[in-house]
Amino acid sequence: MVPAVRTDDLTVSFGPEKALDGLSFEVDAGEVVALLGPNGAGKTTTVRLLNGLLMPDRGSSSVLGFDPATDGDAVRERTGVMTEQSGLDDRLTALENVAFMARMRGLSPSAANDQAHNLLSRFGIANRANDRVQGFSTGQRKRVALARALLHEPEILFLDEPTAGLDPEATRDVLDLLASLAAEHGRTVLLCTHFLGEAGRLCQRMAVLHRGRLRAFGRPDDLAKSIWRGVPVELDLGAPADERTLAAIRQRRGVLTATATPTGARVEIEERGALPPLVATLVQMEVPVFGAVPRPPTVEEIYFAIQEGAE
Amino acid sequence: MSTATTTRATRSDAIRAIAVRDFTAVRRSKGVLLPMLIVPFLLLVVLPLGVGVAARAAHPPDVSSMLRALPGGLARPILTLPPRERLVVLVDGYLVAPLFLIVPLMLAAVLAADAFAGEKERKTLESLLHQPVPDRDLFFAKLLGAFIPAVAISWVGFACFALVVDVTAWPVAHHLIVPTRLWAVVIFWVAPAVAALGLGVMVRISARASSTQEANQLGGAVILPLIFLAVGQSTGLLLVTMPVAIAIGAVVWLVAVILVVRGAQRFTRDRMARTI
Repeated sequence: MVPAVRTDDLTVSFGPEKALDGLSFEVDAGEVVALLGPNGAGKTTTVRLLNGLLMPDRGSSSVLGFDPATDGDAVRERTGVMTEQSGLDDRLTALENVAFMARMRGLSPSAANDQAHNLLSRFGIANRANDRVQGFSTGQRKRVALARALLHEPEILFLDEPTAGLDPEATRDVLDLLASLAAEHGRTVLLCTHFLGEAGRLCQRMAVLHRGRLRAFGRPDDLAKSIWRGVPVELDLGAPADERTLAAIRQRRGVLTATATPTGARVEIEERGALPPLVATLVQMEVPVFGAVPRPPTVEEIYFAIQEGAE
Repeated sequence: MSTATTTRATRSDAIRAIAVRDFTAVRRSKGVLLPMLIVPFLLLVVLPLGVGVAARAAHPPDVSSMLRALPGGLARPILTLPPRERLVVLVDGYLVAPLFLIVPLMLAAVLAADAFAGEKERKTLESLLHQPVPDRDLFFAKLLGAFIPAVAISWVGFACFALVVDVTAWPVAHHLIVPTRLWAVVIFWVAPAVAALGLGVMVRISARASSTQEANQLGGAVILPLIFLAVGQSTGLLLVTMPVAIAIGAVVWLVAVILVVRGAQRFTRDRMARTI
């Protein structure tokens, strides 16, 4: 299957600084992939290169089979972009902001207005369609920006920090919206974010960027396996494990590491099968065991482990 | 999800959409609109009104000494007029003509600064660059969005000017003072050229400026040659007669076209995206 997005050694510099250095990865059609990294990691630059805004100094890329460097308009006809700043003109109404983009994409004035109305209704801001966006909250602006990005039903959606600046409630609303958008029509989504929670919730694979270089790319569990040898387990003992308990745990076969936590111990075991004998040992020692749950590492733990490695 | 689907936009669709959007946005921006209207109002309404009222006063200002300083070709026909009429014909018929050019130049400069540097300042440029519109069309849409309103407002301003001049001067002159043939050349030939020149300069400046204010400050210098022209006209140093006006228009058009073409060549997405 032809990948929806492919980059090969993609490199671009701004002056002496390399904003992106040798980026190579592939995104399958219908996949939701997170581009993770701190500010300045190269996430926005990647989107700008993939949508033909920037020309690479080296390397190549392909989006839906088109080269953004030479066929930018063909790419942009098939992609929708929600930029970090929303990019709305404060002097126009929500309806005008969306309809303007529809006009640019070839709709007649009346069809553009109808399309804009439909999308604003869908995103729950039809009641403010004729208000200038100047007075809108960040959440409302994001919704209008999302409506603009989707008005031509793009095959690929580039979302640059879609929840930046939102309060928790608005973040949840936007994430719910994104989850449904990603699910419908098997749309390919490239999500740039430094909020790891949303990446964990929405994305199948993640690319971790650090100072313009790709540090890791893959499914979270595969990345975890490449970082940690075993399976992490949270042991709930009701209180921090004492030295005697920790020593007993470490002596068990299949246990790799054990450290105390406020509620018990965090243990790394070679495989799940090592857990029942470990619990049995603790029960024999009359240590109360309230819970023993193998817990795969969170996206956050994986991300920070990769970033620490990169440092 | 939606009922309508987009089709590939024709080049004119996209250009029209951008130009209309820019003008709509400017109409709603007091910070841009007020400076654009105040100068034409003062120059094209208040000044001729003052001149008309002064000419109708019991003792109108004597402009004979000023006329003697002008070349005979201009001064002689005016000196044959009744004293009350001389002031109106001299100021409204001749001296305001080069000053009028400030109007299309300033309008074009303000609109171009808003269209190019303003997009960066409002952080709307990136979303525009993400649309499937060729670089050249994007550039010309922005250009037309500034050029057409600048010329249109200048022409409306001139219509107001003519109305004020002729109404206030009628009791004194009993004939129309403007339009004259010189004014026709200034309005239809030189004014659009000056607007294009203002755009050509501001496009270059706006590419470097990060805000509308910065672009306007840098672009302010383009008005200076017109001030010199106006001063030259009032002192008789440089008299804008018909042939001179036609020649000035031709030179300005040439420079403007060169600047606009070079601006278009430098206007690429890559260059713009690197300034965001």
